[in-house]
Amino acid sequence: MASENWLQRRTFHHTNFWDIRWLLQHKERQGLTISLCLPTYNEEKTIGQEIVIFKAELMDRFPLLDEIAVIDSGSTDKTCQIAAEFGADVYIASEHLTEYGNYRGKGENLWKALYLLRGDIIVYVDTDIANIHPRFVYGLVGPLLVNPEVHYVKAFYDRPIAHSGQLRPTGGGRVTEILIRPLFSLFYPELTAILQPLSGEYAGRRSILEQIPFPVGYGVETAMLIDIYQRLGMEAFAQTDLDRRVHRNQDTVALGRMAFGVARVFFSRLRRDGKIQYEGQLPTLMRQFEFADGNYRLREYTIEEIERPPMIQVEAYRRKFYPETESSCAEPMPSGSVPSEQPNAEIV
Amino acid sequence: MTVTVPLRRPVEELPEALKPLRERILSNLTMLARLPAPTGREQDRVQFMLDRFLEAGLTDATTDEIGNAVGRIRGRRGSRTILVVSHLDDIVRPGLDHEVMVRADRVIGPGVSDNAMGAAVVAMLPSILEHLNIELNSHLVLLGSIQSLERGNHRGIRFFLDQYPDDIHFGICVEGIELGRLDFFSIATVRADLVCQVRNGNQGRGYGSESAVVVLNQIINRILGIPVPVRPYTVIRMGKLRAGVSYDTEPTRALLGLEIVSHDDEQVDRIIREIEAICFEMSARHAVEAKLDVFFRTRAGGIPFGHRLVSTSIEVMRKLGIEPDQKHSPSEVSEMIARDIPAVTLGITRGRKHQRPKPDYVLIEPILRGVAQVVGVLLAIDSGACDGI
Repeated sequence: MASENWLQRRTFHHTNFWDIRWLLQHKERQGLTISLCLPTYNEEKTIGQEIVIFKAELMDRFPLLDEIAVIDSGSTDKTCQIAAEFGADVYIASEHLTEYGNYRGKGENLWKALYLLRGDIIVYVDTDIANIHPRFVYGLVGPLLVNPEVHYVKAFYDRPIAHSGQLRPTGGGRVTEILIRPLFSLFYPELTAILQPLSGEYAGRRSILEQIPFPVGYGVETAMLIDIYQRLGMEAFAQTDLDRRVHRNQDTVALGRMAFGVARVFFSRLRRDGKIQYEGQLPTLMRQFEFADGNYRLREYTIEEIERPPMIQVEAYRRKFYPETESSCAEPMPSGSVPSEQPNAEIV
Repeated sequence: MTVTVPLRRPVEELPEALKPLRERILSNLTMLARLPAPTGREQDRVQFMLDRFLEAGLTDATTDEIGNAVGRIRGRRGSRTILVVSHLDDIVRPGLDHEVMVRADRVIGPGVSDNAMGAAVVAMLPSILEHLNIELNSHLVLLGSIQSLERGNHRGIRFFLDQYPDDIHFGICVEGIELGRLDFFSIATVRADLVCQVRNGNQGRGYGSESAVVVLNQIINRILGIPVPVRPYTVIRMGKLRAGVSYDTEPTRALLGLEIVSHDDEQVDRIIREIEAICFEMSARHAVEAKLDVFFRTRAGGIPFGHRLVSTSIEVMRKLGIEPDQKHSPSEVSEMIARDIPAVTLGITRGRKHQRPKPDYVLIEPILRGVAQVVGVLLAIDSGACDGI
């Protein structure tokens, strides 16, 4: 089976890339630059150690990374202060590309990172990881540096959950197993070989990331996988086992809202790819019930999953990264608009 | 007498020169602190330290027979051998998540102060010296010692010192806190568990037996009656007490953890004898087995205040704006002193340890001065400034 074959060829363990000097040689030989993007929103508990460890191990000791940047969604705690103290570049997402409006969400930060950061390879790492280690970067960068056919690398791991100061050995990946894997099995069976499609750590080449739209919210990881798959096929992917990732637990109700956002993104792609048809737009209202004071109370959440256009379509981006190319971009997208599902323009 | 410290560069400039290494030191601290290392299970930290040694080019970094991490940097002349040691074990509660937080001004987490901070500095010392372009004349031996705390009783460093084939001429023990700490003598210290076990505890009480808590209470009252002189300084600390599982069941076992400290070994020996006599009497009187289990012991001793190692260390501290604090606290230094090796314990920064439920922490700002102090003392020893009394 193709998936099994892909699994064998494109599944790595972070120890395959432990020799950072060797990775550095690959990087320098290809003349590549690598940027680390840390999307944040009130992560003062964990951001400090992430930056300290990545800067110390992957910039100061071995210059595998060319920049470390925090893209922040407006934290009200000391996230930005701590990040700057230890040498990260700090960007407030809402202060950049303002002509294209502002949204709050991880996907928004990742999208703007393409504009703000300069690397040929962008590594995205979540900032709620308690056991951060350099492997979270070199394990993802490794396949990109050693294999030019790989364009996007996804992490997978054991996921113990920090709970009341103790560690529980399992519990992560519920949305993956209950929602994503069944949907992939139905509509994109090859993608089921991606073991943890919702993992928050991945690295990609700018050349592909700038070509795909970015949902600003929960669906960004799912969208990336489907959109890159549609453009480049499975051979563009690799995945790396990063061993253990200790993170905060989310309750099932919160995961329900996440699943709603992911499902909206998923269905928009199914329609785009001609796999299903439906009229109009999908609802944006997620309904949940909570039990309080002896009664069930309805809670409604509006989850829109706005999508940002491929960055290559953004004029400011083209001016910055492709100044020699004649500009023929679309007008800036007003705040709150829904993205186009038209085929993406490619730069030549 | 004024002792001149012939440094390659003024010691005052070292903190600034070390600034580019700040994040690497913090990174080592964070990663070490996240590795659980209860006494006897320090392997992950041993491996971490060895990896750091190997990455810094110490080709013969390895574990010794007992499991200590050992790295060696050959000196240009090799006329002296200096040992720099930090213990790798900690007393963090088993099962506790070793989560570490790096804030703008401090690093917070179980065991960061005792002794991930010290171990981080020793692990990085080869890189620090390389960064500062320092090549010592003396051989430098770096040791991450295992089984130091509690019932470990300095087993790692004792084994190392007893087995190391060459003479060790000077020693520096590196502890996470407190900056300014300068231990150069060893107080006689005994740590022991006094266990009170009701006879036939599993099959019902023996004749005349009482709750282990009640009997232990009587033992404690008797211990409080033991004469303790003001001079030589002597103290009995009763630090731990454990007994019972529920409100409605009288315990059959109770444990008292205690420490006896004195400037005089004879005082410690006397107090031990008296406590053992109390245990013997109470065992007979109350149908219990009361036993004193001494598991940790250091002898009184030290190098004189006027020793050049001490005065030079003070001079280095003062040049860095560090106020020396010559309190005593048990550390590996006692094992070196017991073997006539001049040695001092130095602290790296300020912080807090062992005050549960308050978390351990170390302050970031003083760290570079603390590291500079270790380098400064090393350079002074290397220059010969500490030779002789």
